[in-house]
Amino acid sequence: MSLHEVNPSIKAFAVVISILILSLFFDPITPLVTITWAISITFIFGRISFKKWILLFAPFLFIAIIYVWSTMLFPRLQEGHTVLWQWGFLTLTAEGFQRGVSLGLRVLSFATLSIMFALTTKPTDFLLSLMQQCKMPPKLAYGIMAGYRFLPLIKEEFQTLQNAHRVRGVARARTIPEKVQQLKRYVIPLLAGAIRKAERTALAMESKGFTGEKNRIFYREITVSRIDWLFFILMISAVILSAFISWKLGYLQFYNREL
Amino acid sequence: MLAKWKLREVIVLSVLAVVFAVVYLLFLQLGTVLFGLFGLIGYDIIFGIWFIVSIIAAYIIRKPGAAFLSETVAATVEVMLGNAVGPQLIVSGMIQGLGAEAVFAATKWKNYSTWVLMAAGMGSSVFSFVWGFYVSGFAALSPGYVTAMFFVRLVSGALLAGLLGKYLSEGLAKTGALSSFPLGKEHKRNVTV
Amino acid sequence: MSPFEQINAERLEFSYEDRTIFTDLTFSIGKNQSVLLLGPSGSGKSTLAFCLNRLYPEAVDGVLKGSISFGGHKLEAFKAGELNQKIGIVFQDPESQFCMLTVEEEVAFGLENFHIPRAQMESKIDRALELVGLEAEKKTTIHTLSGGQKQKLALACVLALEPEVIILDEPTANLDPLSSSELVETIAGIKKERPFTLIVIEHKLDDWVELIDTCLVLDSNGSLLFDGPPAQCFGEFAPFLKKEGIWLPKVVEAALTAKSAGMYRGERLPLLKSELLAGLAQPFDFSKKVSKTLANKEPILEVKGLHARGHLKNINLTIHKGEQVALVGSNGAGKTTLSKCLAGLIPVTQGDIQFLAAPLSKWKEKDLFQLLGYVFQNPEHQFITDSVFEEIAFGLKDRAAAFSILEKIGLENHANAHPFALSQGQKRRLSVATMLVHEQELLILDEPTFGQDANTAHEIMEILEGKSGAVMMITHDMELVDQYVDTVHVLDAGELIFSGTPESLWENEEIVNQARLQPPFRKQLQNEFVRREIHVAT
Repeated sequence: MSLHEVNPSIKAFAVVISILILSLFFDPITPLVTITWAISITFIFGRISFKKWILLFAPFLFIAIIYVWSTMLFPRLQEGHTVLWQWGFLTLTAEGFQRGVSLGLRVLSFATLSIMFALTTKPTDFLLSLMQQCKMPPKLAYGIMAGYRFLPLIKEEFQTLQNAHRVRGVARARTIPEKVQQLKRYVIPLLAGAIRKAERTALAMESKGFTGEKNRIFYREITVSRIDWLFFILMISAVILSAFISWKLGYLQFYNREL
Repeated sequence: MLAKWKLREVIVLSVLAVVFAVVYLLFLQLGTVLFGLFGLIGYDIIFGIWFIVSIIAAYIIRKPGAAFLSETVAATVEVMLGNAVGPQLIVSGMIQGLGAEAVFAATKWKNYSTWVLMAAGMGSSVFSFVWGFYVSGFAALSPGYVTAMFFVRLVSGALLAGLLGKYLSEGLAKTGALSSFPLGKEHKRNVTV
Repeated sequence: MSPFEQINAERLEFSYEDRTIFTDLTFSIGKNQSVLLLGPSGSGKSTLAFCLNRLYPEAVDGVLKGSISFGGHKLEAFKAGELNQKIGIVFQDPESQFCMLTVEEEVAFGLENFHIPRAQMESKIDRALELVGLEAEKKTTIHTLSGGQKQKLALACVLALEPEVIILDEPTANLDPLSSSELVETIAGIKKERPFTLIVIEHKLDDWVELIDTCLVLDSNGSLLFDGPPAQCFGEFAPFLKKEGIWLPKVVEAALTAKSAGMYRGERLPLLKSELLAGLAQPFDFSKKVSKTLANKEPILEVKGLHARGHLKNINLTIHKGEQVALVGSNGAGKTTLSKCLAGLIPVTQGDIQFLAAPLSKWKEKDLFQLLGYVFQNPEHQFITDSVFEEIAFGLKDRAAAFSILEKIGLENHANAHPFALSQGQKRRLSVATMLVHEQELLILDEPTFGQDANTAHEIMEILEGKSGAVMMITHDMELVDQYVDTVHVLDAGELIFSGTPESLWENEEIVNQARLQPPFRKQLQNEFVRREIHVAT
């Protein structure tokens, strides 16, 4: 059973609900167990290259560290907190440090779940599943597909624009107003070209009989099976289990205790 | 709601998202620097750029649902691009879109002046902040810091989404590419007058 | 109303945004005919085509007056989308016709729109791909296909729906000459095997002339100028067509030139090369060669042993002061890569480039691009200001001079317009002109005449004529190479296989075939003549 075969919509729901549940907790153990769990599933059932995974994960380490020190330096102070160090309006407490680590780990847990989704789901399958399972209107889904198709072309145009700017001597932008001008010089040609392509594509799609009507027999069916629901239940249970473990270890901190 | 939308308008939303996805990468370095320097609040400084798509879409197309749909489409496109943002981005995109949409709805989708556009950017900031508060655990931060983040995000929404969105849309109208859209038609009328 | 007529149009008039596009059009098209729809730019040919299958007027909020009927029924009687199955269209731009990622999915898309049962889909897809020769690409990502293959795919999508009428709107406008003729061959082959009514809108007529049995000609006001057989259209009517700015097949043009020189003794104007040759008294030189003797042999750009991007291998070439150079080769040969290397835009992995006796890598960009210019294929990618005037004035020390340049390229009335709002031809002229404001030693142009009509192409060459520096063009247009170029370099699969004068290239059949080039028309005629002489003699 591979993660690539799990129904994309159900996979997405599993991730979203997991994240919503994880947001309830402010302790380090819950996200930590979730991270371990998510990484294991990703590599055991996902058949993904480690290199790709690390490439996507690495930026989140940086983000997590920022969360940690921001929370450490600006914590919500409550009675009975152990102050470790004070300087002006900056107060460092032991609890603040723990909160910081918790939030940092939370970011990483979200990242591992998101990467699990991203690396095991194909874009076309996702859209088809949104139409077939979540009843997304075909006009919206195929419209998204049509625009998405232009990505390689727009990337190429972006590079051509970069070269053209070099030739015309406007490649450097240092000050803020210059940067805004530069943004404009990229965005406007890209958008002007893209809008024209969008109009032509819409015409072509309509010429092939596309009306956006919901009654549609799909060439490729995305199925929902018991295994998909099993996956869903497993994921949610794993998160709840992480919280349980945290409670057992005495670390658990709830959201409503904070407010 | 979607029945009133033409297919080409939906595709325009989609390419808008793709263009900005490519452009975002260019400006990602700036975000990382700010983030590193100022911490979490650094992210709020540029936060408005995430909703610029909804302002541009609403300003150009001027149909009910433009802000909401454009953010939903943009988020879906980001997820499809395979960035490690996860499907929860679609939820946050919808919420941001609703924030802007609420402002346009309040004007019955008839007013697209600069103030309304900036207010819509701020609307997105507000809604996204509520979502962020929950999901990112801002409750663990000092109320002072959280308030500061909120106001920075408000300003960012007004400027980077509202004002910048208007500026780019009007630059686009000048090229004539928008001749079949309400903004393009308005531009033509203003020019010939 | 004749029972044979499949499409009947009566007193058609279309207007949108306060402009009337065409007016009072009445014509009929019979089943399985092959119709060529001609007219100058802006005469409404595409608009008319889109009205025939009811894409317009809805898509642009236009107003259509008069009536069109298909198979005896008025168009309004058909349900939404129903007509699209019977009348299919292949559009001009290979990049904007698709919405799915792979070939298979794209063909399936059309079938899904018409509620074809899933069990039948696969065989219909396979059959359609077979007809256009794309069976091997069934699972391929569309983005990786060539332009010609993409147009074939668009055709397959239409064929899968088994239409009765196929409309082609300038299907070869964005294709190179080889892919163009392949596409026409494919269509001719399909029509024989599986008849349908064909309506073609085209400028580049030469490949189509043999296939067509009817010509419908619109004039610049959108009225019907001619409706009849091609022999009559390009025969008696040729002068009228020329007056309207409509292109004639090269064969007819050549015959007209020969006729005015008193060399053509045929009764009517020919449509085929063989007819033309039969009517010629003797080999007639059609060339209007504009040759320049190479005044100065001083090298300005020297390339030795260039390797780049794992594609270009061991390139050696030299460009001299004031030289007119062409870089030719089939798609994927590496022309654009090489030109970007020469301009210092992409790095080389091995080898040495010297520009004006200094290594290219040592030049500062600011200084380099004062002396070396690059004109990109799509003019829009080059514009950096909001007005035509500013585009020229940008970087000019003496801004007043900009106006005289605008006059020279015929854009003085558009000085305040946004560059994007110009027509294609005007944009091209502007993009070339922006490079001319500096007196560059070398100007590189990427396909300057691609997708342009003959007038624009010559205009651009004229603008470049006045320039003193060297010019290097990447092009597919061998007529251009024949008329304007001093030296041509031929690339094939990343290697330089020929450097020399155009004349010596045309003599070298082996290289011409290896690089898949089509020699210019006058050379083709010469070759034909030689062949016939040999044939007659034996």
